[in-house]
Amino acid sequence: MTTFIVRRLLQLPIVLLAISLLIFGMMQFLTPEQRAAAFVKTEQQAQHLDQVIRQYNLDKGFWVQYGSWLKEVLHGNLGFSKQSHEPVLTTIAKRLPVSTELALYMFFPTLAFGIWMGTMAAIHRDKLIDHIVRLFAIAGWSLPTFVLAIWLLAVLYGYLHCCGIGRADDKYMVMFAQGTLKTYTGMITVDGLLNGRFDVFLSGLKHLVLPVITYTVVASAQIMRVLRSSMLDVLNSDYVRTARAKGLPERVVNLKHARRNAIIPVVTIAGLMIAFMLEGVFFIEIIFNIPGIGQWSIPSAQNLDFPAVIGVALLTGVSVSLANLAVDILYGMIDPRISFQ
Amino acid sequence: MRKHLLTILALGFVGAMAFAATGPDTYVHMTYGEVDSLDPAQAYDTASGAILENIYETLYTYKGQSITEYEPVLATSYSISDDGKTYTFKLRHDVLFHSGNRMTCRDVEYSIKRLLVTNPGDSAGWFYAESLIGYDGVNAKDYFGGKATQADLDKYWNAIDNAVKCVDDYTVEFHLIKKDPSFFVKLMYTASSVLDSKYAIAHGEWSGTKKDWYDWAGKDLREGFLHNHDAGTGAYKLVKWDGKDVYAERFIGYWDYAHKPQMKNIIIKVVDEQATRIQALKAGDADRITVNDRATLETQIRGMANAKVLESDKWLGAAASAVFFNQKISAKDNPLIGSGKLDGNGIPADFFTDVNVRKAFAYSFDQDAIIKDLYMGKAVPLTMALPPSFLGYDPNIPIYNLDMDKAEEYFKKALGGKLWDTGFTMTIAYNSGNTTRKAVAEILKQNIEALNPKFKINVKAMPWPQFLAAYKNSQLPALVLGWGADYADPDNFIYVYYHSNGYFAKKIGYHNPKMDKLIEEARSITDPKKRAALYSKIGYLAHDDVPVLPLPRPTGWMVLAKNVYTLHAPAGMDVYNNPMRSGSFLWKDIIKK
Repeated sequence: MTTFIVRRLLQLPIVLLAISLLIFGMMQFLTPEQRAAAFVKTEQQAQHLDQVIRQYNLDKGFWVQYGSWLKEVLHGNLGFSKQSHEPVLTTIAKRLPVSTELALYMFFPTLAFGIWMGTMAAIHRDKLIDHIVRLFAIAGWSLPTFVLAIWLLAVLYGYLHCCGIGRADDKYMVMFAQGTLKTYTGMITVDGLLNGRFDVFLSGLKHLVLPVITYTVVASAQIMRVLRSSMLDVLNSDYVRTARAKGLPERVVNLKHARRNAIIPVVTIAGLMIAFMLEGVFFIEIIFNIPGIGQWSIPSAQNLDFPAVIGVALLTGVSVSLANLAVDILYGMIDPRISFQ
Repeated sequence: MRKHLLTILALGFVGAMAFAATGPDTYVHMTYGEVDSLDPAQAYDTASGAILENIYETLYTYKGQSITEYEPVLATSYSISDDGKTYTFKLRHDVLFHSGNRMTCRDVEYSIKRLLVTNPGDSAGWFYAESLIGYDGVNAKDYFGGKATQADLDKYWNAIDNAVKCVDDYTVEFHLIKKDPSFFVKLMYTASSVLDSKYAIAHGEWSGTKKDWYDWAGKDLREGFLHNHDAGTGAYKLVKWDGKDVYAERFIGYWDYAHKPQMKNIIIKVVDEQATRIQALKAGDADRITVNDRATLETQIRGMANAKVLESDKWLGAAASAVFFNQKISAKDNPLIGSGKLDGNGIPADFFTDVNVRKAFAYSFDQDAIIKDLYMGKAVPLTMALPPSFLGYDPNIPIYNLDMDKAEEYFKKALGGKLWDTGFTMTIAYNSGNTTRKAVAEILKQNIEALNPKFKINVKAMPWPQFLAAYKNSQLPALVLGWGADYADPDNFIYVYYHSNGYFAKKIGYHNPKMDKLIEEARSITDPKKRAALYSKIGYLAHDDVPVLPLPRPTGWMVLAKNVYTLHAPAGMDVYNNPMRSGSFLWKDIIKK
């Protein structure tokens, strides 16, 4: 098992190198002026476009640009993001905890709710409860995230003044900015507890309610559908019939025999889901004003903020690889027949 | 257990529903567009300016909402020598920086020299360099292109060194290379804010001496210490800028302690999604929000219980935009001008050099439609490319508006009478999302195509990078461009728009020796009356020449929570709005009732 993990981790740098080459290659389709657009926001600044191109070596060839970029990376410098006005690594260090916190709070309710719905639907196949769950799933799945988010924003926040946007109440954000409250991890709820301030923790939770509801409604449908179909297969298999025949209680048959075997595809999906959540869920971050990775990476891509784009791509490479690794390990834990040789 | 859980959840929900409101001494402004840099010598955008104007101060500044009256801030008085080339400022004695250091002339000298030394290409340094050292307003590295001899560099440094001199600890002198009536107002722009030189040098900024000056020439200051640290004297000091939101607090050691600002904490939040800003205002979490367009203002904001919309037809901003007719279109690989010939399938590169073509286009342009469609009737047409609040704006100059007969008359005269028979095809491009550029292009298309079936105008959307590249390579035949004031002097607009060496005029190849002479005369005298008369002449000449067609200015608005006011508000208004302030008003003037 250790060899397996080490081997997989060793592949990671190669994946990252390939990603960076690919993105650098694609950038070559753009003219230096187009690449310089990231630095120029107004016509007033455009009068110095040539200087900008020279300053950032935008008119040099592929290998010169890639070489100088790679050299910097090996020195631990991913470049400067024009979008965030600071080094890419600083931005990632600042925003990744925010997206991670959001991801963790969204992931478990989504997973739990999806699994619960999937189980219920499969057990009560074609009964009323199955229809309700499937209807809900279709509605949730086809509802664009931003539509649901704006509805919740208008009704729960704007009209009922409940929950909140951003990460915590302003008075706490001011205290974090002043240093009265210490920042340890960059995750508000965790830092609140580490500061011994339960009120900060609660404020953080309050501001997570809207994103969590939105994401759970939209994303749990996928998990429910996968689990339902794989569980229906399993429920028809011989060993389930045997388990029933030997008189095991229904609950044990369904949850222990059937669901455990049906859950493998869910693990696969859930692994990818959390990997991509770490890159920030753009619509949620934009609408509920949560300064995570997505809020930075999407505008960066639109504005061709090249160091940011490649930084986020590398981050995605790392998190997807790690998530896949975790998924593979989980397979083995769920199903002992899977070996790592 | 499940029952209890539900009760707890429900209770939590109700608890969270308490009406949120910002505190009585906290001001929260939700806006869009991130701050670019908090280094005064680097920042050249409104989002940054809105912070800098509160944490830094200049020698003099605009008084209340006026752009023609000034008041001393870090200076107490000033005088100008008879030849107009030496400005002497007496400095205030009791000013503390946020670090606790005391301000002296050395700080003023350091700040202005640093501006001239660094002067990065995307900063405002150029207009200080033009007044104080020349060199086309460009920093030493870019001016010499790395091919400078030691003698060149010494000469450049001496120019900087001679530009600012300390007579004593509280008297500073500026030596201009030539008379410049706008120099005094240039010193009110945030780029010339006074920095804490000791603090800056101690943290690795330029040493203030000849030793390392060339290393700093043209440097991107966003990677330096002052990019996100505050070395100012303002009424507020920066608590934190995390690359996005800005937190500031009242500075206890502020020199004007007699006027303690009411707001203790200021939060400028970047909330890119407009719907979110609106809901936050509704929920009481914001004291001011930025609303992008009038349609949203009318349909979603007006009538909101705890918000107010303030507006005035005098709030026209310190900016002007116009339709530009490009007289030197680049014909190289340019699909926008079709065949590039006068054969009905394109336009020749010198299409707009004929004044008849420009006039025909101007008469095909429906200003009323723009005002009605784009601004819901709330806009004022401009007679010249100058904000109406500026010195020299002449409201009596006639305005081009839709006149199909005249348009036809000039099209028939155009290009030796050939244009009417052959017809033409051209493409007007705009950057996607820019509604003004789109509307202008569509109105021109509609009216001009209606005149003659052989006239064809295509309207094309381009992403910003592609649009910028086409703009830079002079491929766009006609386009809308705008200029925002750097300083409150008409020369900042007139030179840029109409002088053959001005940024825009040069770009579109407009050249009229008579015009150049008038502009040069107006920028070399100081008497406001004489200057105003000259600018009026320039306005009339620009009307005859139509190098550009000024667009109507939408009247501005502000969306605030009901209880927000400012000091120094004019009679009948809740707040003042100074077009030269990036944030319309200063934080220190905010009051909550």
